[in-house]
Amino acid sequence: MPYALCFLLFMLGLYCAVVKKNMVKIVIGIMVMEYAVNLFLVMLGFRVGGIAPIIDRAQYDPVMRQVAAGFVSSSVDPLPQALVLTSIVISLGSLALMISICIRTYEKYGTFDITQIRRLKG
Amino acid sequence: MKGMTIIVKTISSWVKMLIVLFGIYIILFGHLTPGGGFAGGVILASSYVLLMLAFGKEFVQKDLPLALDSKLDCLGALLFAVIAVLGLVLTDRIFFTNYLYQEYLPGKEFELISAGTIPFSNIAIGLKVGASLFLVIFLLSTFRRETSANTKE
Repeated sequence: MPYALCFLLFMLGLYCAVVKKNMVKIVIGIMVMEYAVNLFLVMLGFRVGGIAPIIDRAQYDPVMRQVAAGFVSSSVDPLPQALVLTSIVISLGSLALMISICIRTYEKYGTFDITQIRRLKG
Repeated sequence: MKGMTIIVKTISSWVKMLIVLFGIYIILFGHLTPGGGFAGGVILASSYVLLMLAFGKEFVQKDLPLALDSKLDCLGALLFAVIAVLGLVLTDRIFFTNYLYQEYLPGKEFELISAGTIPFSNIAIGLKVGASLFLVIFLLSTFRRETSANTKE
């Protein structure tokens, strides 16, 4: 069920990126799609009734220098979270690039409407 | 772009110290609590965005020139590469290994000085992310005004 809602969010972003005519709305649609993909990847590692994958002093046994046995079997998966962190930073960089392309195109053509931008101006 | 009233200027000059302190805390304790380089760098960049909103763009451009910001950005990346290459040099031909934890500075668990080279990598990443995010926000907000003023004249 959460995966279906994530897919619905992706479809909303895809609709925005394909149908809308304003350039800023297309950028927003692309960002919603990236959010949906990151959310799906984090939700893949979820476990029902799990704890956060952070070792603090409650799970650590200083005598034997190892973690309590219940930690691995009851924590959510931290690997998708670590990889999605870099994906979020990458989407931030691509957002900066898309916004700067929008600004430059507005200065050359004077409009945000993609149906008015027909010929390449130098 | 002008700044705001004098109340906003006074309060934001006090609050910016708290924001920078919080950002440095998130970066330094990245191996113990959630956070690390990326989140701490974003917080450091947002303190300069607060300064830009409250005092105006000319003040921030005088306070942190863009050339210095570019150099800080490159310094962060170079520091990260140096930390990784030192693993190749110091330990047995293995690239990007945690040589501080294995040989020189093990430290105790749950302390600040532990987990080897990870705090230094966090500092380098925090410096780079903070500098480049501030550059992006500053250039995207000043770029359009300059060229539209040029085309009007």
